[in-house]
Amino acid sequence: MRKRTLVTIFMVVLALFFIFPFYWLIIGTTKNVSQLFQKSLLPGIPSHFLQNVNDVFTYENGVFFHWLANSFLYAVLGALIAIFIACMAGYAFRCYEFYGKKVLFILILGFAMVPVYATTLPIFMFFRDLGLINTRLAILLPSFVNVFGVYLMVAYWNQVPEEIFNAAQIDGANDLRIFFQVGLPNIIPGFITQFLLSFVAIWNNFFLPLVVLNSRAKMPLVLGITTITDPQGFPVYNLTLTASFFTILPLLTLFVVLQKYFKPRLYTVQ
Amino acid sequence: MKSEMTMGRMRNKKKMGKKMIASIKAYLFLAPFLLFFSAMVIYPISLGVKLSLYGQRGARMWYIGFQNFVTIFQDAKFWESFRIPLFLLTIQVPLLLFCALLVAFLYERMQKHRGAFYRFIYYLPNTIPGIVTGLIWSYIFSDSMSPFRSVIDSLGFSGIKILTRQHLPLILLVIILWAFTGYTAFVIYSSLISIPKEFSEQAQLDGATFWQIAFKVKIPLLKGVIITLFIFNAIGAIQVFNEPWMLGALVVLPSNYTPAMYIYRSAFSEGRFTYAAAMGLILAFITFLFSLYILRRAAKQMLTGESR
Repeated sequence: MRKRTLVTIFMVVLALFFIFPFYWLIIGTTKNVSQLFQKSLLPGIPSHFLQNVNDVFTYENGVFFHWLANSFLYAVLGALIAIFIACMAGYAFRCYEFYGKKVLFILILGFAMVPVYATTLPIFMFFRDLGLINTRLAILLPSFVNVFGVYLMVAYWNQVPEEIFNAAQIDGANDLRIFFQVGLPNIIPGFITQFLLSFVAIWNNFFLPLVVLNSRAKMPLVLGITTITDPQGFPVYNLTLTASFFTILPLLTLFVVLQKYFKPRLYTVQ
Repeated sequence: MKSEMTMGRMRNKKKMGKKMIASIKAYLFLAPFLLFFSAMVIYPISLGVKLSLYGQRGARMWYIGFQNFVTIFQDAKFWESFRIPLFLLTIQVPLLLFCALLVAFLYERMQKHRGAFYRFIYYLPNTIPGIVTGLIWSYIFSDSMSPFRSVIDSLGFSGIKILTRQHLPLILLVIILWAFTGYTAFVIYSSLISIPKEFSEQAQLDGATFWQIAFKVKIPLLKGVIITLFIFNAIGAIQVFNEPWMLGALVVLPSNYTPAMYIYRSAFSEGRFTYAAAMGLILAFITFLFSLYILRRAAKQMLTGESR
């Protein structure tokens, strides 16, 4: 009996530890700066939540909504295209014996874990020469590549049984039809999981926008909220917290609603 | 005999023709990916290699061969920047794995709904961007806003500031453990529940307790997952940027606090772009060495499965 209560206490304390920053964030959105400096663990009384929300939404003529729209644009379009072309690539590996298959696979695997810090600086120069600095394409184009996603897609495709493709071939369908009408429906769970992972990764991506963007209008939320300053250039803590709250809200909602697709995988697919 | 050889040659030609057609079709499906892959991964890396061989002042660049790398090997600031990754590697990662293992085993012992509840709560920190994590925790630890301030003051330490450079490694430790324990525990738990029951049942019959089974039977079976997790975390430790960056907004940190920060500062604050490119390559190479284990395992698994 004692062991059980010990375990429960341990789990509850851990749960409180994990929840605490969320709680602190939420009560922080109800405070103005001087209330924040009072360091209380209670919500602000009187609540400045509406004032904060108003200040965040009207900051710099509503640039917040640009950030919000940018984040959605980059994440949705980026993830959609990245995973779709990863899907096509995975299909190629699944259904065709082609010249260079093994070599290409090794190549893909080898580059699957290239750190962004090695590619982003050259991409900056590359985009600068193309005049793409500070454009939305500068964020989208690199987002369309998800090398690890291709590797995972190959794993997903390998789980689709041979019979499905054979049956379609016997029925005389051409390759495009097989891909769209037979293959894709069987890969939907994997597609959704990868789409979500890619979506979150692009939404959270800070380093790339930091390097290639310099005007607020094109920034995603994660970068934009770090630029919320008063006229002297100092960060405005309560507004930054409020903006952070709205930054994580879509992700939390996504997680709560689509929990089962967030099951993390390492390098295997089950 | 002659006709058999001809038949054989014709059959081979047919096979080659089939493979040619298959290759064309395959590369059509691969084309979009290969296009972006070449443009956004291969080309930047080769450009990075080229840049690393050049010296630079402002807009002027001239070829200097491996001079950048020689300078880097002698650059104390570069190697000092690895202090934080090393700290994370030796302390944070083992601690994370230990806590995650413990929690994963506790998940396994729980009834479904209780376990699901805790798994949900513990996973939440991993759903928010690293920047926001760093931001919120930097405020929580900041001396102007920290709820811990009153506790610390009442313990008699009112002279000691919380968010200082000295305390930063410890603060980073807390932040990273907060963000990744739940996720890591879940990954381990996923592998744990796929271990066939026979293993533990046999040990139970031999009289082992749950924790004995956990240590002697299950952990060895989890070796692959644990090593892979260690490597992923090690790679993350080497490249750590977001959290120190956000903390650096509230406490003065040197430009070489982490390797990634030093690379960024060298490129964009000091204008030493080619130098930063060279450092980026070194960082990429170190990361690659760490990831070899994972890549080899993944390749083996894939290629043996492919030979169907």
